Amino acid sequence: MISNYIYSFVSKFVFSPLSYIISFIIIAILAVMVTALIPLFIGWVDRKYAARIESRYGPVYVGPFGLLQNFADLTKMLGKRFIATNIDWFSFNFTPIALATSSFAMLLIIPLGGPGLEFISIPYSLLFIYTLLAISPLLLLVAGWGENNKYALIGGFRGAAQIISYELALIVVLSSVALLSGSYSINSIVSNQSSIWYIAYLPVTMIVFIIAGLAIIEREPFDVPEASQELQAGWKIEYSGIRYGLFLIGDYVKVTVIAMLVTYLFLGGWNGPFIPGILWFIIKTAIVLMIILTPRWVLGRPRIDQLIKFGWNWLLPLAVLNLILVELLVVL
Amino acid sequence: MGKEKIMRLNFGPVHPAMHGVLKVILDVKGDTVIKAQTEIGFLHRASEKIAEMRYFSNYYPIMDKLDYVSALNMEILYASVVEKAANIEIPPRAVYIRTIMAEIQRIMSHLIFIGSFGEDIGNMTGFIWALRERELLMNIVEKVSGGRLAPMYICNGGMFYDFPQGIEEEILKVLSVIENKVNHEYNAMFTKNQIFLSRTKGIGIITTDMIKKYGITGPIARASGINRDLRKVSPYLAYDKVDFDIPTEKEGDTYSRFVVRIREVLESIKIIRQCIKDLPAGPYKTVVPWIIRIPKKDTLVKQESPRGEMGVFLVTDGSDKPYRLKLRSPTFFAIHALQELLVNIKIADIFVIVASIDPVMGEVDR
Repeated sequence: MISNYIYSFVSKFVFSPLSYIISFIIIAILAVMVTALIPLFIGWVDRKYAARIESRYGPVYVGPFGLLQNFADLTKMLGKRFIATNIDWFSFNFTPIALATSSFAMLLIIPLGGPGLEFISIPYSLLFIYTLLAISPLLLLVAGWGENNKYALIGGFRGAAQIISYELALIVVLSSVALLSGSYSINSIVSNQSSIWYIAYLPVTMIVFIIAGLAIIEREPFDVPEASQELQAGWKIEYSGIRYGLFLIGDYVKVTVIAMLVTYLFLGGWNGPFIPGILWFIIKTAIVLMIILTPRWVLGRPRIDQLIKFGWNWLLPLAVLNLILVELLVVL
Repeated sequence: MGKEKIMRLNFGPVHPAMHGVLKVILDVKGDTVIKAQTEIGFLHRASEKIAEMRYFSNYYPIMDKLDYVSALNMEILYASVVEKAANIEIPPRAVYIRTIMAEIQRIMSHLIFIGSFGEDIGNMTGFIWALRERELLMNIVEKVSGGRLAPMYICNGGMFYDFPQGIEEEILKVLSVIENKVNHEYNAMFTKNQIFLSRTKGIGIITTDMIKKYGITGPIARASGINRDLRKVSPYLAYDKVDFDIPTEKEGDTYSRFVVRIREVLESIKIIRQCIKDLPAGPYKTVVPWIIRIPKKDTLVKQESPRGEMGVFLVTDGSDKPYRLKLRSPTFFAIHALQELLVNIKIADIFVIVASIDPVMGEVDR
């Protein structure tokens, strides 16, 4: 655990109650830096990768290879004026904060590439991450309603419908992994995979997880609620400035978390021969991330009825079938 | 469930995804459209009236801005009607150059259609790829005429400049690039993409009766099984000397409209290759005075623009300006079919259907 390392390090120099406070401050600063830097870096990767697919250059000017472009964009967003009118003030301002907080909290709970490398360690970390993911339909509805805009309302309802139809498949998938390993803690799930990765037992479940995960985080091709063509960003339509920036960062956090979860649950996390575990983790996560980022730029967007039909008719039965198979595997 | 409320949505004229300034007023129940009403006229610039105040040679810039996606086709059409009325014979080299430029412009227009259609389905990459290929042709138009979007290349009796040296090889090189991309990349991106197929097949069906009722022409009519193309029916320019096919489809849905246009791009490439092979030497224009007087008569010329049959009806009274100029634009007729098409569909399909009509509002509103 990161906090234990820092506390033991600080207490060598300072006496007891003060060392606790100092280490707490250090941990808080570290947590903010890590949770802010990871999504911004992933955002740069996404922009560069998309640009290469589309025969463009992507960001080049700010920093080496345009690495600091996202910082520049966020700084610009901080300076924007508040322009929305006729809104419900509380729900309008509450939603971006709540969505960003719930996204950042995921990065505090998930291990960052090694055993015990997390800011807050709880025994049910997988379940807690799922809970944080599942908050979003409520927030989408609140945002869509609070903006006082027809497009936003349609987008909010679409988002709620989509996420509700896909999160059932997601929880079934997570349960089958938990059943196989006997624990809801990511650390013990990974340590159970030291001999054989779960992708060997659950290949279909991994695909179901990736699809359902993409749908939950509204990544294209599942971005029906914010369909930028017919609904003009859907439930985000009235947002601008740093409120919109918080949504963007939250999106990248969620993409990162889904890629990390695929690595932890199915690809053995930091387990691997020859090179250090953290390198294995980074390689695996990068590959999964590229696979997750690709569909956005090569596929179109399905219609909302096709999307929900796909979720209920194909994804959920597949997930349940796999759960039954895993149960048989565990019992036998 | 309580009483279901009907919501009225205004799509356009400033909706970012709408094509031009078309306005569609929709009555929406849930996510389903129950009534649609189109509103046009936001880009009305009195183009027909302007013609009455200008010399025959000075109207070309206005023609450029009518259908700004296929400006060269408009220029060639207007040149044809003036030359027919004034009995001006243009040299064979000018005929072939005009055919080549018309087909280059047709490919550019269809590439814009392909891109924006993909973009309306949510596929941004398709849009950027289509613009990337269009840029190659844009550069050629720039080298030939000096302009890009509104080239001002055609004039009475021919064109302002001859082809620059070595442009033929460059055109052939660009064409093979585009043919390769259309055959491979676009097929992978669109016609073999399951999500694309599920979004476009079976929606927005225009039947043969509707085609006749609304007077729709061009690729939309050909997608509904009507094999009519003015380049074959009443050949103009050099179209009777080249060999090409008219792609038709039977279903009449948005997918077949897309496929017809993709195949028309390949046919246009075929036409340009033959024209460049047969390109005769000689003068590129018949020198005519800038101000000409046309005796009292009525002249009608219809040509196949990328959107359908574009016509110009010119009434002259012996002066140096037209007495009346009437434009017949193809998408003006197709737009009205939207009121019938945009009923009992989901909101997400609105833009797929509108994009499949390929409206250019400059031409509709004139």
